[in-house]
Amino acid sequence: MLGYLITSGLALGALYALVAIGIVIVFKSTGAINLAQGELFMLGGFFAFMFHVQMGYPYIPSLLLAVVASFFIGALTYQFAFRPLMKAGLVSVLLASIAVSFLLKGVARNIWGGVGDYIPFPPMITASAINLNGFIVLPQQLVAFGASIALMLLIVAYFKFTRSGKWLQAIADNVKAATLVGIRVGALHRLAFALGAASAGAAAVLMAPLTLLYPDIGFNLFIKAFAAAVLGGLHSIAGAVIGGLIVGLVEALVAGYVGSKFQDVSAFVVIMLVLVFIPRGIMGGKAMRKV
Amino acid sequence: MRRTSLLATALMLAGGAIIAAPAHAQEVGVTDTTVRIGQLGALTGPGYLYGKIIMDGAEIIYQEVNKAGGIHGRKIETVRQDDRCDPATAIAAAKKLIFDDKVFMIHGGGCTNASVGAFPEIKAANIPWVIFASVGDSLTSPPSPHIFTTALSASIESVSQLEFALQKGAKRIAVISQRDAWGRSRYQPLMEAFKQKGITPVADEEIIGEANDATPQALRLQAAKADAVLMVIYPKAAAAFLRDAHKIGYKPIAIGQTALGDLPVLTKQVGVPEAMSNMFAISHVRYMPEDAEMAQWRKLFSEYFPRETMSLYHILGIASAKVVVEVLQRAGKDLTRESFRAQMAKLTNFDTGIYPGPITCTEQDHQCHKSAAWVALVDGKIKTVAATTVGR
Repeated sequence: MLGYLITSGLALGALYALVAIGIVIVFKSTGAINLAQGELFMLGGFFAFMFHVQMGYPYIPSLLLAVVASFFIGALTYQFAFRPLMKAGLVSVLLASIAVSFLLKGVARNIWGGVGDYIPFPPMITASAINLNGFIVLPQQLVAFGASIALMLLIVAYFKFTRSGKWLQAIADNVKAATLVGIRVGALHRLAFALGAASAGAAAVLMAPLTLLYPDIGFNLFIKAFAAAVLGGLHSIAGAVIGGLIVGLVEALVAGYVGSKFQDVSAFVVIMLVLVFIPRGIMGGKAMRKV
Repeated sequence: MRRTSLLATALMLAGGAIIAAPAHAQEVGVTDTTVRIGQLGALTGPGYLYGKIIMDGAEIIYQEVNKAGGIHGRKIETVRQDDRCDPATAIAAAKKLIFDDKVFMIHGGGCTNASVGAFPEIKAANIPWVIFASVGDSLTSPPSPHIFTTALSASIESVSQLEFALQKGAKRIAVISQRDAWGRSRYQPLMEAFKQKGITPVADEEIIGEANDATPQALRLQAAKADAVLMVIYPKAAAAFLRDAHKIGYKPIAIGQTALGDLPVLTKQVGVPEAMSNMFAISHVRYMPEDAEMAQWRKLFSEYFPRETMSLYHILGIASAKVVVEVLQRAGKDLTRESFRAQMAKLTNFDTGIYPGPITCTEQDHQCHKSAAWVALVDGKIKTVAATTVGR
């Protein structure tokens, strides 16, 4: 039983981690929480559905097209909803992100609302379970787990080794100083929102065979992913993955050993306890005063 | 001279009155040539199956009636309003049908929560409402004068689940349920039914309707050695449960309610056809789209909706509309809301040829449909395999 619970917990955690990575990218670069991150996941999944199922493109090109489309939607939402409010304060951006989440949900309802209730999406390899040294797992869960680790490494490398990644960190540390040295803050904020959306799109393609697709999928996922991001530390990509995996594991173990009625609430109890003792999250590091 | 002019005036007034008075006072939404029916339900969003698709099925009947000359010379006009499965939207949609569209009656109600939201508005308007899919018991119990249902109720579905498990010879019966408003409306009568039979479920697991993984629940049910699992869950949670139960090699008799009735779609959602081998669900209707008995409806469907595939929900719409048409017919030429209500309350043993049992309503019982058909996948095709009839 323990083996099954651990594998299913890690798979569930990978889903939360994939969504949490997008939340962290935006927060790390702009200081804003994008409450529409769940809806960007949903839209990415529907893009993949449109390319792969409705238009018949192969899986990998569909994945890439969905990620690119999500990237542009992220940039568009920044341009029209967030950019005008960035100077008005983060509360305004937060409220705008609620509006964007409803808007995206409405768009999806109108375009794909009549296709089915919970729309199935074909798996990358096979839907049947496979036996790995006595552990029966779903291949798509392995794909999602591997992808969350790969995406984490990719994003970490992007922030560490690319010029735009370093600039994104610079504006997150001190916007005024970054502006003074000639960094184009607006363009980088747009890039951060676009990257966050692209990562949500990638997550959606990988997870859609397990989550199914429907216009209202975003909010519940966002709540768990946000909890994972807070648990791991809102500034840390690795923290998002660790937080996601912990949330998934706690849910599975508590549901299995304590009772299924405690599954949904268990992760939040752990998060509350962690935040009491480690307010910046597991990978948040020490609080530093910005100068 | 004076007498002549008085007589002329009296004659003029009498003549004017005769010209001005209609043949009889017309009911709202009724003219000599038309009767307007409002259709309420989800036209968009995941709940559209219980709205738009059922309405499309009903439309086939209404259009065929119109082609044949209408009912007592009146053609049926339909007006649709989208409740989006949302109570607040449903209130606005019902108001629009009643006050703006001025419909004679409402034929609709898909998602129970939306119908419960619209209920006070429709009840207060004293407008006939024939519910086609909402299963909330509170919609017809206690009965409101003008509100009837041709759908099964949540409590009938729950009791039928237990009856069916016993019919299948299950000895260790367990429950997996979601405990939101939708789930509770079924879970509570189910527990009552267990109590009345003197049975204790061997396990009682909870899951959220939007669950992405159900491995812990499947493991616990397997550990409890449950040979039948009564599922009070949405298709998404059901898909996760069936997939994960199959993953761990657990194969109980899985017994769902109407929310899981579209087994071919559920199979796609599960992703593993073998996981569906022991799955049964309730259907409101006796026949499946591909059954021989549905040939005439299939033919008409392909004429009206050439680009779409006929589903279980279209058939549900056809069956419910047949009831509406029958009652309109019985209400006679002088159609009023009261005459419709009176005839609806007298409808006894009306066989639609589609529902698993006859439709019977009384003044005291507006739950007109009490028979559940049980469907399963046989050689990959959905088939009716049994029927149960229970009281409420």
